[in-house]
Amino acid sequence: MIEFKDIERYYDAGAVKSYVLRYASARIGEGEFVSIMGPSGAGKSTLLHILGMLDEPTAGEYWFLGEPVHKFNERRRTELYQQYIGFVFQAYHLIDDLTVYENLETPLLYKKVPSAERKSRIADLLDRFNMVAKKDLFPSQLSGGQQQLVGVARALIGRPKLILADEPTGNLQSPQAREIMDIFRQLNRDEGVTIIQVTHSDTNARYGSRILHLLDGKVERDEKI
Amino acid sequence: MLKTNLLIALRSLWKNKAITAINIVGLSLGMACFSLLMLHVNDEFSFDRFHVNKERIYRVYRHILPYNGKEASSDPYLPMPLGPAMQADFPDVLNYVRLCDWGEQYVRSARLLAKPRVLYADARFLTVLAFPLLYGDPQTALSDPNSVVLTEQAALDYFGEQNPTGKTLEIKVADVFEPFVVSGVVRNPPPNSSIRFDFLASFERHAASKYGKRGVNNWNRSAYFTLVELKPGSGLASDSARLQQFYNKYHPGETEEARSAGQWAGAGDPTNYRLQALTDWHTQPEIGGGAVAPVNPKYGWILLGLGGLVLLIACINFTTLSIGRSAGRAREVGVRKVIGARRGQLAAQFLTESLLLSGISMLLAFVLAKTFLPALNELTDKQLRFDFQLYPELGWMLTGLTLLTGLLAGIYPALVQSGFRPLEALRSKIRLSGSGLFTKSLVTFQFVLSVGLIACTLIMLRQLHFLQQKNPGFNKENVLIVDASDADTRRIYPLFKAALAANPAVEGVGASELSLGADAGWSRSGFEYEGQHKEVFEYFIDPDYMTVLNMDLLSGRPFDYAVSADTTQSVIINEAMMHDFGWTPASAPGQVLKGYSESGKKDPVVIGVVRDFNFLSLHKEVKPMMFHMFNGYQPYQFFVRLRPGDLSEGIAAIEKNWLAIEPDLPFRYHFLDDNLARFYKTEARWSTITGYAGGLAVMLAALGLFGLAALAAQKRTKEIGIRKVLGASVAGITRLLAGDFLRLVLLAIVLATPVAWYLMQLWLADFAYRIEISWWTFAVAGLMAIAIAFLTVSFQSIRAALADPVRSLRSE
Repeated sequence: MIEFKDIERYYDAGAVKSYVLRYASARIGEGEFVSIMGPSGAGKSTLLHILGMLDEPTAGEYWFLGEPVHKFNERRRTELYQQYIGFVFQAYHLIDDLTVYENLETPLLYKKVPSAERKSRIADLLDRFNMVAKKDLFPSQLSGGQQQLVGVARALIGRPKLILADEPTGNLQSPQAREIMDIFRQLNRDEGVTIIQVTHSDTNARYGSRILHLLDGKVERDEKI
Repeated sequence: MLKTNLLIALRSLWKNKAITAINIVGLSLGMACFSLLMLHVNDEFSFDRFHVNKERIYRVYRHILPYNGKEASSDPYLPMPLGPAMQADFPDVLNYVRLCDWGEQYVRSARLLAKPRVLYADARFLTVLAFPLLYGDPQTALSDPNSVVLTEQAALDYFGEQNPTGKTLEIKVADVFEPFVVSGVVRNPPPNSSIRFDFLASFERHAASKYGKRGVNNWNRSAYFTLVELKPGSGLASDSARLQQFYNKYHPGETEEARSAGQWAGAGDPTNYRLQALTDWHTQPEIGGGAVAPVNPKYGWILLGLGGLVLLIACINFTTLSIGRSAGRAREVGVRKVIGARRGQLAAQFLTESLLLSGISMLLAFVLAKTFLPALNELTDKQLRFDFQLYPELGWMLTGLTLLTGLLAGIYPALVQSGFRPLEALRSKIRLSGSGLFTKSLVTFQFVLSVGLIACTLIMLRQLHFLQQKNPGFNKENVLIVDASDADTRRIYPLFKAALAANPAVEGVGASELSLGADAGWSRSGFEYEGQHKEVFEYFIDPDYMTVLNMDLLSGRPFDYAVSADTTQSVIINEAMMHDFGWTPASAPGQVLKGYSESGKKDPVVIGVVRDFNFLSLHKEVKPMMFHMFNGYQPYQFFVRLRPGDLSEGIAAIEKNWLAIEPDLPFRYHFLDDNLARFYKTEARWSTITGYAGGLAVMLAALGLFGLAALAAQKRTKEIGIRKVLGASVAGITRLLAGDFLRLVLLAIVLATPVAWYLMQLWLADFAYRIEISWWTFAVAGLMAIAIAFLTVSFQSIRAALADPVRSLRSE
């Protein structure tokens, strides 16, 4: 599903190029549950952003479902992205001014999904995450775990093939973290959704089937579980 | 999508109440100001468009090319036989309507005696033009020479009822009240009609009157408007060849005469008839004529421009404030992009917000505009209303204004904010404070406008003050001008003078044929003096006139009742005429104005020179002028000098004298200084409008600055906290925060000064007598702007500087 070859990403820091990623390569198949691990500054988040098409590599190739993403313009990347990818953030990144329901609805509005279908999809997800009673609350009225549930639900609402999660439980207490990870595992196993997560936690990494260890901008070790 | 966008916009506006309030107040003031000016200008441009066949109706005028040293001129007052001749000679002239608009005439019924506007018109007036009758038959209402049609208002005033058809009233025709029978009632002419009347009478009746008779079949007596209705598709309006043929047919030999006299050397003919579209009547002041002074459309555009600038300042507030707080909304933009928003969708969302705001502001603006409309009406002498029936175009104009304002204010922030890159936005890496170059330029621009307008206002007010204070060369204080133009003045003037001599409130009485000041009229003669063409203004006065007005005689002697030649031959000239003729005060008396009189009459002899005085407005230099003593002319205007003190008693006493002598006519008077001040009505109006615009501009700019300063202080909370911990004083921090903005205002003053100076130089060039623009005007305008900016900015800055540093640092 995903193949990236010799991905390179640097930032201009004055005269010096400071490399975040260099010669990073890997291949990830459909239905995998991959964790990216590594020390701070190893380039985990940058890699995730590049995979999520929020960032561009300065060199290297990125193939997504057989398509050369590195050759696409922003518009085509957005199309691809809208269709196949859902993002979950450590800081949830819900829209404060919108209710839970509206937060879930917004991606569908951008995709111009008809009203009836929007309603049924949102109702399904709310039901599945036991959040029907909370649909008219604003994010600030929810606990962290509940907010992240909404975050995951929002990532799922577009029915993506790939979920990218950037330390999804970094801000959560362990019981709530477990809940989120259970959902990921279930999605992966029962629905075949490919999941790539960045994490610091071994426990969380064990939920997946494979760990990519990053060091100094390179995939240093590819560990199967 | 739209529904969601609206909902988000509403929540966002509600969440930032302070900024929203600033924006709504600003936009609604700007839009109210613009709507008012738009209403005014739209009214000017809507004149005479209500006539059903407007595109086929024309007013005929005479056009004279530059000729014999005079500039080109146009004259809508034409001979009486013109209309019938045009209909007879041109098959495409369907109808003609002649109008005799000689202004106000005395009309009396049992209920009222007053001086309304009486218009004598051909009977077709009521069918060709769109003045619908409420009672009576438009085909026949003006057929009978003794009939009269009243407006609704006149019917109520004169009869106290809506339909006085069949009743009689009396109109003063040539000094005698004559009976007329009411044959109909016409709807009041709309305010945007150039043709104005209270009474319509038959043109035939006028043609049969003492003055009218002189015009019948007379191509040399030009006193009437002629309207023609052309057949559809007629090209007569632009066919100057046919019109020239027509002109030459009825004015034979004119061109040849001018040519042989050496006055006209051009090809073709100097004079022709032309057609002016009825709808252009109000916007071609060079042709003139009529009850409503036509306006130069340029001023309409200038007014709209002023309104536009004020509105622009309000829009800029929205723009800079949105940009100023866009960093705070960056995360939202980032999230939306990550969950799939396209740039266009985000821009639409932001524009929804600005459009919603402009919509809300429009509602408020409409209320504001209605509130301030009476003030505008007073300023412009109009009775405008937000009347969607009278001005059907107002609806889309106001809608358009709302959309335009929303787009103008919102487009830049929408484009900037929707263009944020999602990752940077999510990481709060967007650096867009109020300090961006664009924001700075906008703020500077606002203050350039404000300072410029204030400086212009100050200069205009100083010039106005100068015009009103300047000594016109006579004593204008405490002089009452009694308008006796309807009376038999030859009979009553001596009686009146004798009566006032016994009146202790009166110092002296003089008389003149013409009044002095605005709307007084003038008369000028041209003659050949020793081979040179001379133009001289003429006033007919009695010997006391110069004494009453305290005019200075430089040489020679005043008029004298005892010298019989004074009434026929003697003239007193002014300095300007003396210079023009190459004389000195010593050499002028005794000179003969050879060539002035028609053959057989004696030429005038100069008996004295009067010091120059401004009988025209101060726009013009004093021109050559001479006084004659009454002989053939009537003393229509009585100049009464009152003793200083309580004038009202004096006026009451004079009124009593007047009524004792002329009980049939009301006592009508003006003050000389008011008459002179009215010369500058336009200037006074413009300085007031500029002043309002300037005040509003400053207020709006300050409002924006207030918001920006608040945002800046909010954004620099942490910096301020650290500085305070490090020992910075409140004054130091205030200086730090306020300094940024004050520098912009200073820059604005520097930029505004040359522009305002240049524009005012153009404006002042219209005046022969004018002030010098002095540097301190700009200093004052600048200081005002700085003071206002400083007050608004420092309020926010001091508040920020006083905040507890521990709290602001902890919150980070």
